[in-house]
Amino acid sequence: MNRRDRAPIGQGIARIGIVLCLLFGLIAVGAGYWQVLRASDLSRAADNPLVIAAARDVVRGRILDETGAVLASNKKDANGEPYRVYADRSLAPLIGYASPVYGTAGLERAYNAELSGQGSPNSLDDLLSKLAPGAQRGDDLSLSLSLKLQEAAVKALGSDRGAVVMLDPRTGRVLAMASTPTFNANAIADPTTAVAAFTRTAAAAGQPFLDRATMGEYVPGSVFKIVTSVAALGSGAINASTSYAQQPAAEQTGLPVSGFRIHDGHHDFTGSLALDYDQAIEVSCNIYFALTGLRTGGAALSSWAAKLGFGAPLPFDLPTAASQVTNGGGNFGGGFKDDVELANAAYGQAETLVTPLQMALVAATVANGGVEMKPQLVTSIAGPGGRQAIQPAVLNTVMSPSVAGTIGNAMELAVESDWGRIFTSGAAIPGIDTAGKTGTAQIGGSAEPNSWFIGYAPATNPTVAIAVVVEQGGHGSARAAPIAGSLMGLWLKTLSK
Amino acid sequence: MTAAAGVRAPVRAGRIQPHARRRESGLLALVAVVLVLGSVSLGATQRQLAGQPASWLPADLGQLAIYLGALLVAHLALIMTGRRADQVLLPTIGLLGGLSLLLMERLPQALVTQSLLGRNFGLASIQLGWLLLAIAVITIAAIGVRSDSWLRRYKYTWAAAGIALLLLTFLFGTEVNGALLTIQVGPFSGQPTELIKVVLVIFLAGYLSDFRPLLVAADLRLGPLRLPPLPYLLPMLAMWAMALGIVVIQRDLGAALLFFAVFLALVYIATNRTSYVVLGLLLFVAGSVIAYQLFGTVRDRVDIWLNPFVDASGKGYQVVQSLYAFGRGGIIGTGLGAGLPLVAGRLPIPAIHTDFPFAALGEELGLIGVVAILGLYLIVIERGLRVAASAADDFRALLAAGLTLVVGVQAFIIAAGNLKLIPLTGVTLPFISYGGSSLLANGVVVGLLLALSDRGVEPPPPPRPGRGRRPAFLGGARSAR
Amino acid sequence: MDPYVVAIWIVRLAFLGGLYLFMFGVTRLLLRDLRAATRDPSGALARLVVVGSEVSEPPRGTVFGLDAVATIGRDVNNSIVVEDDFASSEHAALTFRGRAWYVEDLASTNGTFVNGQRIDGLSAIAYGDEVQVGRVRFRFERARR
Repeated sequence: MNRRDRAPIGQGIARIGIVLCLLFGLIAVGAGYWQVLRASDLSRAADNPLVIAAARDVVRGRILDETGAVLASNKKDANGEPYRVYADRSLAPLIGYASPVYGTAGLERAYNAELSGQGSPNSLDDLLSKLAPGAQRGDDLSLSLSLKLQEAAVKALGSDRGAVVMLDPRTGRVLAMASTPTFNANAIADPTTAVAAFTRTAAAAGQPFLDRATMGEYVPGSVFKIVTSVAALGSGAINASTSYAQQPAAEQTGLPVSGFRIHDGHHDFTGSLALDYDQAIEVSCNIYFALTGLRTGGAALSSWAAKLGFGAPLPFDLPTAASQVTNGGGNFGGGFKDDVELANAAYGQAETLVTPLQMALVAATVANGGVEMKPQLVTSIAGPGGRQAIQPAVLNTVMSPSVAGTIGNAMELAVESDWGRIFTSGAAIPGIDTAGKTGTAQIGGSAEPNSWFIGYAPATNPTVAIAVVVEQGGHGSARAAPIAGSLMGLWLKTLSK
Repeated sequence: MTAAAGVRAPVRAGRIQPHARRRESGLLALVAVVLVLGSVSLGATQRQLAGQPASWLPADLGQLAIYLGALLVAHLALIMTGRRADQVLLPTIGLLGGLSLLLMERLPQALVTQSLLGRNFGLASIQLGWLLLAIAVITIAAIGVRSDSWLRRYKYTWAAAGIALLLLTFLFGTEVNGALLTIQVGPFSGQPTELIKVVLVIFLAGYLSDFRPLLVAADLRLGPLRLPPLPYLLPMLAMWAMALGIVVIQRDLGAALLFFAVFLALVYIATNRTSYVVLGLLLFVAGSVIAYQLFGTVRDRVDIWLNPFVDASGKGYQVVQSLYAFGRGGIIGTGLGAGLPLVAGRLPIPAIHTDFPFAALGEELGLIGVVAILGLYLIVIERGLRVAASAADDFRALLAAGLTLVVGVQAFIIAAGNLKLIPLTGVTLPFISYGGSSLLANGVVVGLLLALSDRGVEPPPPPRPGRGRRPAFLGGARSAR
Repeated sequence: MDPYVVAIWIVRLAFLGGLYLFMFGVTRLLLRDLRAATRDPSGALARLVVVGSEVSEPPRGTVFGLDAVATIGRDVNNSIVVEDDFASSEHAALTFRGRAWYVEDLASTNGTFVNGQRIDGLSAIAYGDEVQVGRVRFRFERARR
């Protein structure tokens, strides 16, 4: 053994020392990350005790609609403690509630930090507020929502369960977002009635706390044909004059797809005519779209749907559920299991599941020449530090204006033409050209199908897009289409002036 | 005096003569000023939040005075006994302990109560008691330990004592939070794991220094890796595996990680072979993967480390609340006493006085305070490693390095766990967390470091003939005579 | 802005500043020590210089830094290895005992000499003394400052 191996022990010690220095440096970097970079994110989380404590001590900000009408404000109870009051029952579950007992839900929860005065990211304000602590005011939220339209939407849905989403396709701003059944948020916010009201609402049939507009997942039925159209026309698999020779015969016998037969037969009057795209939309031909889906292919259908927002929760002021074209996991392309599933999905059955918000965006994208705007509910936040406006943003450019034009043209025919009226009666607005598509979604068993309608108006230069779903409401034209027509008419003729 | 090699009577290093420790005096004065400032700010904040009239009295003058007094007594004792030990360690530990005291004063006193002799003591008083005991231990060790033969000669005895303590805890311990860590004797409960760490470091230092040349010679070649010769590595590994196994069975994952890290580091210091470290790291990865598959608790810990926000009100609650606390602190903090908003009348972070004092201090002192605390630990590590680097022989060097690493690596593990840099474990932050066993064990560590740094201590015996040399029949050199 | 609140913040910042002042003070000491150590990188307490050598190892002029304990002998485990048949495997030890240096003969065959005189057992040694082990002569000096 030689002296060389008896390396000075100090060398190892010095190296270990350097390693420890680096490790502690890493901790300092980690601390810097959470205490500086992510500090404002963390301070806005709803379960951060700071936010909870601030909500107790701060005068909560108000929520206003697009005209400035107050949707949510504060009142003092017998002990001088503030509690929340809401303008109308139709605002639940969208606005939600803020209760000292039950916490927050809906928009009250999503913007809890701002409403409690915690939203200011300005570090100078933060510093000054540390030096001058005192009762603070929360920020006021201004929404794009129209209270009157919201009330009308809930009234139109009546005692049915369902949802209505109306938005401006040019900006993505939400004009109405109704979900029924609603609940009495005032009773929950009022401390004297909170416990009884909450227990009652939680046990009520129909899950009133569920915001069906953003979180409800439904079988779409024929409204999904618009999505298939986007994929088929966008990828060039078909064009407006495409027709299928085997389609008329298949109306009688059913379309064979790998041993399965796809049936249609609700438009006998087209006889032996091989429909082109416009006509297929007008009469909502399942066979046409099954064939189109097979021709487009699963991968293209999935990827074009993803451009519209399928497959992931939509970015929005409230939590949203993801819509899907298939459960996935299959290797037929795009996650589909086989051609049977693809064919059925193409006309809105199989494993397709959509949220009303997603379908409203689909209609809005067609209306806006193929450019999908990000859905937006909060338009500005006003605090002691000033007003912060939130500008509309483009979510995605989904398709070319010409493709959007082709689809839009077909949708206009679906509402205004003679053939179309048979299926979409009630959707047309007197005096204003309307575009749309109904859906009658079979949900299996002996249950009534879901009644769907998506569309926009006016057909040229549209300013409102809509999606309506009525659970087990029957044919699309039975419930959804008339609701859509009346609400769009109300907005265009009265409220938007 | 006879000259028989290796056997000699202990020699007194001259008469005991007081020796000024000016650096230590200056630093201690600074520590006192800082702690008084902290206490004043805490008191003013508490009064302001309670709506009481403004006053600049320190938060708890009596406790602060007792604590500073104890530090002064320790300082004077070191001066009067003429020790030439390191002058930075005591003030730094004093500052850390003072921060601990301030934190315990700021937390609700009802977190821990103990009644003794008819009086009830709350969190801060009990922590003060343990701090005083720790300072006493430091002083006694620094002054009293004059020879390290009792440490270096009986290494197997030390190892056996360590294992015995572990077994005792395993067999007779009471279960707290799913881990068998505590032994209760009457009203007192302690965690022997803290002391076991020190004992095992003493064993390792003795073993590695004795066999250091051999561990480096005649390597086993396993492909590109060089392994130490089996006859020497096996007993060490066996002991290690046993200790780790027991710790893992007790579910004290933090201690297991600490043992392993210190073991690897000491082996590297002793042999200077990176290949051993690489092998050790591979073993660690393999062990972690196996543990992940086998133990649900390990899987939970790793899952909430990767994304605690997914289950923010369930399993991930502690980590999420810890991160919120850091976020609330920002750069300059909320100020001592002004953080930790109560949720339904209780603190948002459970076990805040034992597992999360770093988060509490992070919130109240901000990023500036966090970096300062990290700096204080680095100072302790630097002083300890300096003692190791300038030690008179291998055993002292390894012992000092091992003791330093026990404190330093533990601080890293819990600080990183609080910040979600590594999975959370249940180890204490040395000198800041509440806990008597932790304070006493770390006091022993610092006391021994001070003793080792004293140049007046009896020098170690020269390497004895026949030790550290391979026997002739294995090819070693024969005696010169 | 409440002056009391501002004052509390000043105290808080002073507290944080004090922590940094402490660390700064310690760093200054550290740098001072480092500067001293770089002048004598080995941190040795004393030195042994080879002033005469009739063997190959150690050659004349070699300087050994000494720690509190240094052993001299033929065996490779010694701090100072003397490859001389006239040196025993464990020949002598130099130790610093807190106040003074001592050299001790470890029952070597041929003896250890200080300033020409054979020593028996432990003997005190001062800077400038010559120590002879086998056919190598060392001079004991203070560490370079």
